[in-house]
Amino acid sequence: MKYLNLQPVQVCGYPDSEGQLVFADEDLVAVLVHLSEDFGDDAGDWYIEAAFGPSLTDPLNPMFHSLDEAVRWIDRKIQKQ
Amino acid sequence: MSSAAKTAFERLAMKLNTIIRLTDEELRSISSLPLIIRELRPDQDIVREGDRPTQCCLIIEGLAYRYKIVGEGRRQIFSYHISGDTPDMQSLHLERMDHNVGTLIATKVAFIPHHDVRILTAKQPRVLAALWRDGLIDAAIFREWMVGMGRRTALTRIAHLICELYTRYAAVRLNDGQSIPHHLRQTDIGDSLGLSTVHVNRVIQKLKTSKLVAINGKALTILDWSKLKEVAEFDANYLHLREMAA
Repeated sequence: MKYLNLQPVQVCGYPDSEGQLVFADEDLVAVLVHLSEDFGDDAGDWYIEAAFGPSLTDPLNPMFHSLDEAVRWIDRKIQKQ
Repeated sequence: MSSAAKTAFERLAMKLNTIIRLTDEELRSISSLPLIIRELRPDQDIVREGDRPTQCCLIIEGLAYRYKIVGEGRRQIFSYHISGDTPDMQSLHLERMDHNVGTLIATKVAFIPHHDVRILTAKQPRVLAALWRDGLIDAAIFREWMVGMGRRTALTRIAHLICELYTRYAAVRLNDGQSIPHHLRQTDIGDSLGLSTVHVNRVIQKLKTSKLVAINGKALTILDWSKLKEVAEFDANYLHLREMAA
């Protein structure tokens, strides 16, 4: 069983600069970005900007309505690994 | 002849004229083709993968696209088709469709029976040459898209698509100065260029803030053509237009 932990981070270069690093135990597995109002209907969603490791490769750009939802999705994928 | 049929032939002649200069006689024989005109809703399939069409379609007005659906319902768009285009002309020789053709917005199309196209092209070798050339240009566009998806950045890919659409609209005189119709949603652009909608959104913001393009409702205006071309690495040669409009 791996335990996810999150660390807030500023993401450079975009208006949507609020992000979270997601670790599974000690390993970085994903970078999440909170979409700003520039994203219209998607504003406020959390986007998987980058994902690492075999169970998260090619996540097909899923977006989530909340940070909790994104983390639960990542957790399910990680635990299947 | 109905005004819709007249418009259909005018649009087809305008398109073929970008490829080859047709004589009056050739244009007359094209205008004798029988047409069935239909007004289609947005997001409606014109022909589907696996179909064996007996007719091909001509876009009179609106916007169509070719696409395929792959695992988990993901869509890959291959090309866009504007007024005057005949996106499924390949079905004349390749009997079974290997992809779908659909409308993006409300689109008026004319269906032309294969049989009549065969008779026309047997009698008019230069019309046949024009259609053949159109097919070769189609392949050239696919090559350019392939280079984009494999080796170009998101910014370059999107700028390139805008340059391509502008050049094609302008070639058939459907531009309004520096503006062209803009109907592509961000999901369409993403599905065309292998990008997420989030990334498409960011790149479009960048193109706007860099004052390369402006988007106003359903119109896209090019504010700085030479800079946009540079960003896009755009060389219109692959469109093989007889007279370069841009």
